[in-house]
Amino acid sequence: MIDKSLRWLDDRLGVAKGGRTFLDKIFPDHWSFMLGEIALYSFVALLLTGVFLSLYYVPSAHEVVYHGSYVPLRGQRVSEAYASTVGLSFDVRSGLLMRQAHHWAADIFLGSIAVHMARVFFTGAFRKPREFNWIVGVNMLILGIVNGFLGYSLPDDLVSGTGIRIAYSIVESIPLVGTYLAFFLFGGNYPGSGVIIPRFFILHVLIVPAILVGLLAAHLGLLVKQKHTQFAGKGRTERNVVGTPMFPSFMAKTTGFLFMTTAVILLLGGFAQINPIWQFGQYQPYQISYAVQPDWYMGWLDGALRIMPSWEWVGWGHTIPLEVFLPAVVFPGLIFTILMVWPFIEARHTKDLEYHNLLDRPRDRPKRTAAGAAMLTLLGMVFFASSTDVLANFFQLPLIWVLWFFRFAVPIAPFIAYFLTYRICNEMRAAEGVGQRKRALVVMRTEEGEYTTVPSAPRPGDGHEELEPMPVPTFIDVTPPELATSAGVRRVIR
Amino acid sequence: MSRRLPELLTSRGAAPAALVGVVALVGVVAFSPGAARAVTTRPTPAAVSTTATTPTAAPSASSAIQYTSPANPGGVFYVDLPPSFIAPGQALYAANCASCHGAQANGVTGVAPNLQGLGAGTIDFWVSTGRMPLAVTSAQAVRKPSRFNRLQTLEIAAWVQSLTPGQGTQIPVVNTNTANLESGNTLFTLNCAACHTITGAGDALAEGAFAPSLHEANSTQVFEAIRSGPGNMPRFGPGNITNTEARDIAAYVTRVLQHPTNAGGVGLGGIGPVGEGFVGLLLGVGVLMLVCFWIGDRA
Repeated sequence: MIDKSLRWLDDRLGVAKGGRTFLDKIFPDHWSFMLGEIALYSFVALLLTGVFLSLYYVPSAHEVVYHGSYVPLRGQRVSEAYASTVGLSFDVRSGLLMRQAHHWAADIFLGSIAVHMARVFFTGAFRKPREFNWIVGVNMLILGIVNGFLGYSLPDDLVSGTGIRIAYSIVESIPLVGTYLAFFLFGGNYPGSGVIIPRFFILHVLIVPAILVGLLAAHLGLLVKQKHTQFAGKGRTERNVVGTPMFPSFMAKTTGFLFMTTAVILLLGGFAQINPIWQFGQYQPYQISYAVQPDWYMGWLDGALRIMPSWEWVGWGHTIPLEVFLPAVVFPGLIFTILMVWPFIEARHTKDLEYHNLLDRPRDRPKRTAAGAAMLTLLGMVFFASSTDVLANFFQLPLIWVLWFFRFAVPIAPFIAYFLTYRICNEMRAAEGVGQRKRALVVMRTEEGEYTTVPSAPRPGDGHEELEPMPVPTFIDVTPPELATSAGVRRVIR
Repeated sequence: MSRRLPELLTSRGAAPAALVGVVALVGVVAFSPGAARAVTTRPTPAAVSTTATTPTAAPSASSAIQYTSPANPGGVFYVDLPPSFIAPGQALYAANCASCHGAQANGVTGVAPNLQGLGAGTIDFWVSTGRMPLAVTSAQAVRKPSRFNRLQTLEIAAWVQSLTPGQGTQIPVVNTNTANLESGNTLFTLNCAACHTITGAGDALAEGAFAPSLHEANSTQVFEAIRSGPGNMPRFGPGNITNTEARDIAAYVTRVLQHPTNAGGVGLGGIGPVGEGFVGLLLGVGVLMLVCFWIGDRA
């Protein structure tokens, strides 16, 4: 039955060839190769929960009187966006679960992208021929952050409204065109003419996800086309891929992982509160709550804004607010540019233009590892700077001390991290037997009283356990159908 | 297909991972409608019993206390401190307060402020929240368990009030049961959230000062703070916030912020995305990385 329908499909669409490539794709087995899948599956969760939310959410800044089931809001004039978000949280069955799962999935999506990216970076998987896929990945990260911010803004609550206000100022800070751009985006001076919610909505649910899906297809297509990288090991060379095929082993494993990911997301959505907007109330430009932070993936931008000294440049009738422009436009631009061109920077530095399918152990490339650690430290420091007030309150320190701590820590800490990581890598490379399982030493005493030590025999599992070659599925017939050869018909080889 | 089943099952961790995943997924989805129903049928804040003081319950300290001025609209009464409180109040004051504020409560320059004319309500706020007597001199006094019981607190307040009769903030008794929570919500967002945060969790301010958490304050203390403006906090007079409005704010703090409708699970401290980020990264991504480690090869 399956045979027949597959043959039917193949006769018409020629799915066998592509299907075979896909099902035979070899996945080298290493836990760190599955980090990207967290991102993939949380993206799936985002799409599914997002569709549910879009059925109830009303993207409108139009004011209505709230009459839902949350008592302290009753009778207040709120926007339809806010009212519908509170409504889908309280008055739609499992709506709050979906909304919270969507938000947690977004946090996990970007977190797993960061972890996946760190894996790719530290093992050198971005090297030739995979530079292009690295750039695709960086662009997906940027779009993910952008879409996270857009979605966070949609409920139109007090906390996210503050974020939109900051976004307006950031756009405005761009020299020469800033004011025009901000007016263009918001349809006028802040808070604009009520167009920002519908505009953010269509960007959030259609335009950015569509680009993301396209990039995702390219990301995975390149992965299949260029084949997987692998760590060095017995039988593994630059010219082969050792692992398990897509079908059946990897498919079973990855399907299990899909369920695990959605399970974690839904468990968090069901048991951990996120963004309780009913407590925050409707956003009004003249109101503000203290202790407002963005979601974590925007934290490093917020932190950069917070620690920046208030410098501005005034001249020829223009003001350039460097205190906003530098940390919020130049800084992220610089970071993302460095990320995107890193494969080329490194290739130029190492003069290494070879193909690389075998991965590095991070310690074997101390400079790259140290550079990555420095970058992570920089971003981590700026990230923590976005919670200066929370830290000051928690540790009961004056806010200004915390602020000045970060003003020094942000530029200095990356150099310390670079130096330490570089030293640690070199020490680890120099030490004998690091990374291998330790063997017990048997101490012996001779009759004369002399002591000797002998290493014990290796235990099973001490060495690398190799994977047995597995036969690829043979039930897919790739014999091409009879091609027409009559006169006037051009024969096309497929 | 059956030939391949053993391979499928032996692929390390795949089967248990899938099993746990499916069970968890089914579990969450199965319980979610119930969870949603629990949210909507949960007693609204109006039904939550309040620990706030009411005229009948509050001053268990002494039955001698009278309440004056029903002329005040807004369900706010003032404690009428009897003259018998003054003498024991003076003794308590002399033992606990006079070393800094002076024997006549007129303050010591450079050490402690003049208390005359501040009124019983101000004294009650500082003493009942434990801020006075100070434990250490710092940028701002911190809330701690009060050294005095309710009767002793009222006695101290009565003595200080007796120095300047009729002046300053009185001690209110706020009936939050009749309050308007919607109005309290609006007024809180407009006047208080900018420092105390929208969830009332409090946060650090400049120069070592901080807006304290409101999660322990009772309705009397909230009302007194609004009227007397302790420390860095602005003072809101009756022309700015009426008695009715102050009562609504106190009710919003004690009935909504202190008993939030924590639909959707654990509240994570009400400090917003900082806590959420930690949970998302450590619990979400962290757990999933452990799953990778479990089902993936570690060689």
